[in-house]
Amino acid sequence: MSRILLVEDDIPIRQELSELLRNAGYEDVCITDFTDPLPEILSSSADLILLDINLPGMNGEQLLREIRRSSQTPVIMVTSRTSELDEVLSMSYGADDYITKPYNPTILLLRISAVLKRSRDTAVSPTYRGITIDTAKGSLTGENGELILTKNEMLIFRTLLEKKGSIVSRNELMTMLWDNAEYINDNALTVNISRLRTKLADFGCENAIETRKKQGYILL
Amino acid sequence: MSFSRFFRDRLPAVCIYTLVSLLTIIFTRASGGDMQGVFMIGIILLAGGISILLWDYLRRSSFYKRLFKALEAADRKYLVSEMVPEPEFADGEALYQIISEACRDMYENVAKQKRISSEFREYIELWVHEIKLPVSSLLLMCHNDGEAGERYALQIRRIDDYIENVLFYARSENAEKDYIIKEVRLQKAFGAVAMKNMEALHERGVSIVTEGLDTNVMTDSKWLEYILGQLLGNSMKYFRPDCEPEISLKAETFPDRTELRFRDNGTGIAASDLPYIFEKSFTGENGRNSSRSTGMGLYIVKSLCDRLGHRISADSEKDSFTEITITFGRNDHIKFED
Repeated sequence: MSRILLVEDDIPIRQELSELLRNAGYEDVCITDFTDPLPEILSSSADLILLDINLPGMNGEQLLREIRRSSQTPVIMVTSRTSELDEVLSMSYGADDYITKPYNPTILLLRISAVLKRSRDTAVSPTYRGITIDTAKGSLTGENGELILTKNEMLIFRTLLEKKGSIVSRNELMTMLWDNAEYINDNALTVNISRLRTKLADFGCENAIETRKKQGYILL
Repeated sequence: MSFSRFFRDRLPAVCIYTLVSLLTIIFTRASGGDMQGVFMIGIILLAGGISILLWDYLRRSSFYKRLFKALEAADRKYLVSEMVPEPEFADGEALYQIISEACRDMYENVAKQKRISSEFREYIELWVHEIKLPVSSLLLMCHNDGEAGERYALQIRRIDDYIENVLFYARSENAEKDYIIKEVRLQKAFGAVAMKNMEALHERGVSIVTEGLDTNVMTDSKWLEYILGQLLGNSMKYFRPDCEPEISLKAETFPDRTELRFRDNGTGIAASDLPYIFEKSFTGENGRNSSRSTGMGLYIVKSLCDRLGHRISADSEKDSFTEITITFGRNDHIKFED
């Protein structure tokens, strides 16, 4: 379970964020005292830090610079300031991503999982039931040879695989596809999933994807 | 100041002088002066009179000429008193004093208004950041509440859109440079906008077609996102009920520019309205048919484009399509290194 450190001074947001993160299966730690947060941040051994820019005392950008002196923990800047300057500054100080409030919670979770994935050593290709997945080539390789997936099918398959054994909602899948510049509609998503099912079945993985009514899909 | 106007002004003095001169000549002649002496006195009086007149004319006209020239050249007319030296004749001095005083007062007034408007804008920025906090927590609460919260989330997002309008209106009206031009991938900017409107787009069943958006343009990404958001919002307002809604974005790069064409197949804009759509408070035919039009959206979009140095134009056909084209200049010399 990944540990996420919340550095956010607005109490309602902090509470809702930790609920959101806990529901999504993360462990969350919060900073509550902002007089000198740096030692607490550095000793938190978090896998990822969500850092607000407007903080009492020190501003988030300075804080980020201090963090980067001794730690390479991924940092996502979260702010209500919609100015290019803040984004440019944050990225140049070493932030991994920058999200403006109010954010779409699904996107926030997506970005968190993307940053976490990037920070982990991903030299090993993911596998499923003995099939090796090559995202760059867009193909699956197994005993039956090679299966080519379209970009959308690959994106869907990867998302289901990351959450193997738990339900992924249609909304999550849709958000993920749109985040990858695939602006498909509801019908197209259904079509993509049924094609992916057929392809997997032809490849020897029968009933890999199960539909859970009103909830979403699950990869078994 | 022309000489004839000046001369007319001095006419009484000239008349008195001429009269005095004539009387002097007559009396000199009457009291027994010889003809040659009287003639010499006449010449001297005439020369003296003309030089007084000319000298007076020249020093005045040189001051006023400079003053008018400065006035013409000045970008801000109220700074004109700073641009000419103080004159050395009495009425000129008085005039100069009046102008300086009036200009200084004007300058102070302008500076005060500038300060007020910039403070106001700063406050708006601050206020927007403040109000975004409760909006953010509300959105998170909606999400955490599951399906029941979705209904509220839609309205909260509407509030957020209106907040953005205020922010960008304040930004567009302000003379300060508060944007950063750097390379922005069109895909990234549009992606953020599409994502923000995903639910609404799905609800209306809008299909989105993009082409060539993996191009970089020189702009401020936050401003561009707002601009695209406004265009998208407009398209969403004016879809025709009888056909499948579609929005397409196409970017095309030329040696000197990149053109982004934002097109929808909505109700279109009447030809008579088309030239005015970027004007402040213009609502037109479409606006009259929809109570939700304020005529501010495209005006703000246009001011933002102007300030960023992008050209924006519109083309449309009633009941067929609307196409807004934004032209980004290309200049390979200015590249912002991240």
